[in-house]
Amino acid sequence: MTTVPRALLAIDAGSATTSVALLGKPGSTWRLLGALSAPAGTPADVLAEILATRLVGADLALADFVGVTPVGVSDLPRLEAVSRPPRTLAVLGASRRAVGLLEAVAARTPWRVRAASPESHDPREMTELALRPDVAAVLVGAGDPPGPDERGWLDDLAGLVGAVARRRPDLQVVLAGPIGARDGWAEGFGGPIEGAGERVSLAPALGLRSGPDEPLREILERLLPDTADSRHLSVRTLLSLADALDRRLELLDVGIDGGLRAMASPGVGEQGPVAVAVRTAQAALVPPEIDDATVDSVLAWTTGSLDRHRMGDRLMDLRAQPWADASGEGARLRLAAARAALRRLAASSQDIGAMASPDLTIIAGGAFAVAPPRAVALAIADTIRRPGATQLAIDHARLLGPIGSIDDPDERRDLIADLADDLLAPIGSLLVVGSVPTTRRSAARVGRLTLDGDRHGRHDLAGGEVSFIELSPGDTALATLEFRDAVRIGHRARRVAVPVSGGVAGLAVDLRDVPLRLPDRRDRRRAALAAWGELAWPGDER
Amino acid sequence: MTEPAATATAPGDSAVDRIGLALLATRTLVESPIDAVFGLHPGDRALVKAGEAVGRGQPLLEHYRDPRTIVVPTEGAEEGGGAPGDRWVEPPGHKSPEGEQTSSGELLFRSGGKWRIAGGDRPDVIEAPFAGVVSDVRPGSGITFHTTASGILGRTVLAGPTWGRLQIVTDADGELRAQHVDVGAAGSIIVAGARIDAEALTRARAVGIRGVVVAALGIKEQRDFLASERRGRAAVHGLPPFGILVLEGAARRAIPSPIMDMFRALEGGMAAIVGSPAALIVEDAADHLPRPAADLVRVRSGPLAGAEGTWAGLAGPRRFPAGVVLEAAFVRFGGRPPVAIPIGDLERFA
Repeated sequence: MTTVPRALLAIDAGSATTSVALLGKPGSTWRLLGALSAPAGTPADVLAEILATRLVGADLALADFVGVTPVGVSDLPRLEAVSRPPRTLAVLGASRRAVGLLEAVAARTPWRVRAASPESHDPREMTELALRPDVAAVLVGAGDPPGPDERGWLDDLAGLVGAVARRRPDLQVVLAGPIGARDGWAEGFGGPIEGAGERVSLAPALGLRSGPDEPLREILERLLPDTADSRHLSVRTLLSLADALDRRLELLDVGIDGGLRAMASPGVGEQGPVAVAVRTAQAALVPPEIDDATVDSVLAWTTGSLDRHRMGDRLMDLRAQPWADASGEGARLRLAAARAALRRLAASSQDIGAMASPDLTIIAGGAFAVAPPRAVALAIADTIRRPGATQLAIDHARLLGPIGSIDDPDERRDLIADLADDLLAPIGSLLVVGSVPTTRRSAARVGRLTLDGDRHGRHDLAGGEVSFIELSPGDTALATLEFRDAVRIGHRARRVAVPVSGGVAGLAVDLRDVPLRLPDRRDRRRAALAAWGELAWPGDER
Repeated sequence: MTEPAATATAPGDSAVDRIGLALLATRTLVESPIDAVFGLHPGDRALVKAGEAVGRGQPLLEHYRDPRTIVVPTEGAEEGGGAPGDRWVEPPGHKSPEGEQTSSGELLFRSGGKWRIAGGDRPDVIEAPFAGVVSDVRPGSGITFHTTASGILGRTVLAGPTWGRLQIVTDADGELRAQHVDVGAAGSIIVAGARIDAEALTRARAVGIRGVVVAALGIKEQRDFLASERRGRAAVHGLPPFGILVLEGAARRAIPSPIMDMFRALEGGMAAIVGSPAALIVEDAADHLPRPAADLVRVRSGPLAGAEGTWAGLAGPRRFPAGVVLEAAFVRFGGRPPVAIPIGDLERFA
């Protein structure tokens, strides 16, 4: 006889923090009973014990019913997901152009990419890169036939990679194009090597222009051994959630070591739900190497007076201790870094950005875990510039990854359907209006918004501005926007009515440029950011 | 009448409070034994073999100051072996087609009937900064060196390896200025307090100091130092060994008291700085290194950064500046009432 558990633990062991959620089934459905996170390395059992103790203290009858005790909580069944630092991929090509094409594809995978070509590195430096202990795989590619810029160096490159593969039996090699057929490969790789077939993968040759990159991305993602990866599992949960809610969902996740952007649509007829996802190490909150470009990308979103060096220091410390300094100025710095990371994520996922606005945008990852809801909504509005309306919610208990570890899609869907209300904390709704006429862009009123049933009546809308309108969690309304000229909210019209939902942040209405253009002058940019920031960060709580 | 104070649970006394201490980031102070890795670049020559016992100061590897790739016909290169990673020695009477002066190097790969070889001029000898046993040698990658000595762990190391007598020149929260760098510390590894600027680092190197241990080093100072190091290494006479061990990060903070206590206990003795792991290696010290109290916690960041106190229990979720709600803990500083601090801003020592 088996006993059906009435409680379980969902554990997301991230690179920066470990999060444990306690799920229970007090009636006919699963509910979230509590969640707690602590710096990475904290034993999950300790977090579970504290959660159980709090539950017992708050509601002993409930704890008894679901069978949770501080002593026995660590024996509960577990759903586990982990995030590990990205592995490093050396990308080599016979020309700068070729390596650029390969790098663009590899950047849309969870690999941390280090690229080199004979135009930027000499053979000794390229060998050194491929021999580095942290490099787990080498991707080398060429066109078929090779381009004129590749021919002169292709045999040498094949020989270099072949020799490195012979020296490092642990190294995975991906040959994109006719590298293996080159004489240099035979000279470098030599005779048959034990296990060579398993660690040398063949991929399509480079195209003249960038084309669909799925085949190569799939090969690169297959080389990653960890199927318990939190972002990989989150996409599975997103699929189930889209199916359970019958909504189009987008997931934006930024963590210390990478990011994820995914769009999922519910199944239609016989077809199950589908998702497009990009996991990338480039969207890390703070890249491991902090260069001037990284510092500038964060400085562009700050209103303080930090110079480059001080900002570099702050980012180094944030990278080293991502769980620390999460309040006060540290919270603002974190959101500035998150904006820079979201920009990189958006640049790596333009195919998803071109899709229609989703019904619900889910925000996840340590970058947003403790930020004020309005600040999160503003960060999304600043960086994901897609005209349209979407509801915003946050994966506050970090359940998306662990739930994705359930292999059976039906079982996963059932749990999701039970937990949908607890899983996501509503932030509010975001309305991004595009193509607001240039001549009207000032503080002057360019349109108005009316919320169904809103006792405060109509709200004036100013061009080039963003505003928050109170709409409580659980409330829904029909927002009617009227403009003097046609604008774009999904489609071009002067009058648009869209359903919106409330949240802690309310309804954000954004009439700024799409894409967002910040003033070039530093003082004006800071003034604009400060004015918008006042809406999200109340002045007395800086 | 019941005395409420007698029955109330004081902060830090409940079961949750006791296990709550485990929620703090744990900082490991000392690691032993140590497997230190010394990087080998293509072209570098290992002077030791796996299994070999090596004493302090004994040559470990030879590193070219000016490495480059040279091209040699296959027949001229395969006399010494002929596999990638093997050493190549220029045969007597052989003249490199490019007129290179290099007399030895490392075979990289063969293509088009020619070997590409990593060689260079002016090899620097890197010496073992402490005694140990070579456990692995991988040409082009690194030498792994095992020791039973103890390593006081830091966050990062710039340059190195190096060794010398440990000398404390400032307080834990002091800052060493260039004018205070004393030539009397030549040959030593100095403990330089909370922060040091680029000028003081340059002077320290100039007067013959072997290494610096500092709590924080800003990104600008790091770049300045590394640029100076590159220039110095490329110069004709090279540079003596020098290394910087950064204990904390980039923003100014005092050296934590448990680490400072260890430095005081070790002052005058020999120590070494290695980069992987980033640590100060001290031999025969495991028994007399002072250990911190179990309930000592340190504020890692935030307005009270650098302060140390004692654990007084979990405080639960609290609202902090910027409207952020964070899990917090009570910390008692001296005899004052406990203060609630985000647990993410706290660390404890192991």
